[in-house]
Amino acid sequence: MQMLTQEKLSLEAGAQHLTHLLRSQATGVGLPPSLRDHWLKWVDRADLSTLFTAQHLKEDWKYTPMEFLRHPWELGTLTASSPSFPPEGELPLIQPVESFEDLPALHSLPTPSSPWEALLGASTTYQHYQIREAGQLLLTSSNETGVLPHFVSISIAPHSQAEIWLAPHTGGFLLLRLHIHVGEGASARLYYTTDLPTRNGYLYGILSAEVEKEGQLESYDLTISAPWKRTEFKVRLTGPGASVHLHGASRIAPGEVVDQAIRIEHAAPHTESNQLFKSLVYAEGRSAFQGRIYVHREGQKTNAYQSHKALLWEPSAVAYSRPQLEIFADDVRCTHGVTTGFLQGEMLLYLRSRGIPEETARHMLAGAFLAEVVEKIPHERLRAGLYARMGFSS
Amino acid sequence: MLSIRNLHASVEGRPILKGLTLEVKAGEVHAIMGPNGAGKSTLAAVLAGKEGYEVTEGEILFEGQNLLDLEPEERSHAGLFLAFQYPVEIPGVSMIQFLRAALNAHRAAQGAEPLDTAELMALLKEKAALLKLDPSFLSRSVNEGFSGGERKRAEIFQMAVLDPKLVILDETDSGLDIDALKIVSDAVNALRAPKRAFIIITHYHRILQYIRPDVVHILADGRVVHSGGPELALQLEEKGYEPFLTPA
Repeated sequence: MQMLTQEKLSLEAGAQHLTHLLRSQATGVGLPPSLRDHWLKWVDRADLSTLFTAQHLKEDWKYTPMEFLRHPWELGTLTASSPSFPPEGELPLIQPVESFEDLPALHSLPTPSSPWEALLGASTTYQHYQIREAGQLLLTSSNETGVLPHFVSISIAPHSQAEIWLAPHTGGFLLLRLHIHVGEGASARLYYTTDLPTRNGYLYGILSAEVEKEGQLESYDLTISAPWKRTEFKVRLTGPGASVHLHGASRIAPGEVVDQAIRIEHAAPHTESNQLFKSLVYAEGRSAFQGRIYVHREGQKTNAYQSHKALLWEPSAVAYSRPQLEIFADDVRCTHGVTTGFLQGEMLLYLRSRGIPEETARHMLAGAFLAEVVEKIPHERLRAGLYARMGFSS
Repeated sequence: MLSIRNLHASVEGRPILKGLTLEVKAGEVHAIMGPNGAGKSTLAAVLAGKEGYEVTEGEILFEGQNLLDLEPEERSHAGLFLAFQYPVEIPGVSMIQFLRAALNAHRAAQGAEPLDTAELMALLKEKAALLKLDPSFLSRSVNEGFSGGERKRAEIFQMAVLDPKLVILDETDSGLDIDALKIVSDAVNALRAPKRAFIIITHYHRILQYIRPDVVHILADGRVVHSGGPELALQLEEKGYEPFLTPA
């Protein structure tokens, strides 16, 4: 790669360089004129150097390697790649819309909580989708080199049904900003699959959603291989009966990094959230998970559940797990659980004592660990494909 | 078939087995009884190859082979089967997946081709019926959510599938109600054969009313202190271990 022959920057200089580069592309042309000026003010103020100074950002990135900042990035270009898992559903395939003035997704964009989010919100590379009744869409945004910010909005009309397939590839640094608006009584399912076995790429997704009354969002963040992947998932439940179910199954190959930062806001009564994440971490791999549940004063009768389990394959594998609950309502049920550990010798002995060779037994147990999440995927071909790509039999 | 000679074994440096000697021939059923802490579970663990159990002296020969040189999977291939006292749950691995891997590993060790799915399912269903297990349990994860009785039945089911030469039942009767005990015992009796031997490790005389042993041993302080016929179990039931603990 061309980049490798160039001088590395210091982290601070890299942050400044990237700030200028991302500001230069943030024209706001993908936003309705009524939002543009407002957003460009956020862009002017956004400064990636604050990653090293602002307390909440330092905390947010505490366990995430930021070596990518040392590259003297140039802007990359958007290409389409062939997805790992093509949609096989029954729903009609949706194309981006040209006119986006009134899209609910754009009018429900959350206030940026990081310079990244500010810089990406006004991205010049954008796509907007609108789903009425039923539809599926396929996002295979990719870039071969350079840094590429890409903004996508999806508006799901009330009582509609949507399936979103997100399968980006990158050989550089892909910054994906996705915002979904789930209208009243609508349901959305998001499959985010990553399979970048031989690439050097950095994949950073900031995914957010607003879910209205009786709306449902279900997501599957599935990593087969990714040299560096960070996913921020921010969901706001704004109407009674809204629910979100987030699932994650990460196979973190030797030396890889998978970082997940979740924030669920219960901003209305009778809402439900569920997080089930599992990380299988091989030698020198790193899993970083932070899961925040924030219950507003209005969020009475909230039902929230969160679980992150990490299985460390070798002593050199690392998992950081941080559950965070902030609750401002008094009648709620919030539970969370974190486990991190090595393979249980008892399970291994049990399989071996029935004649299964040690390597096969270990492999079976690795697959079984992720199966708790994978088995919840309602799409059979995806499930089977995932097991096959991860090298596990179903 | 199995010769245990002067076996000494320690756990975390603490000696548990202190010169255990036992000879089991093909076709025989041996019962090993003894008070808590006598070393019954340690014996089972050493035979299975569990980590953390150190053999400091003595030997175990299984059909002439030094058992202690074999990995747990090789012991299984050689024909040893241990029905665990506390079978572990393995979420995410179905019984079918588990037994397919186990059977095919056995077949590979014998140079045979893997079973195809139809052959596998026919075998599993036949053996499940022997244990009165509903075939739907084959799709469930190994031992996950099984009741105590189901787990023990599942152990004997696995035994029936793998067709071992030597079976060790490690307190298989504990936690079983009368019905389940009868099912398990019937299955064991059905599998008694001239080429197969059983070692039944138990606290209670009860299971021996259903599975009649040829020899009963009393294990105390890491050694066999007394051996006799099936009547010995009955005497234990009446008199307790005490009279047998001082060597005659």
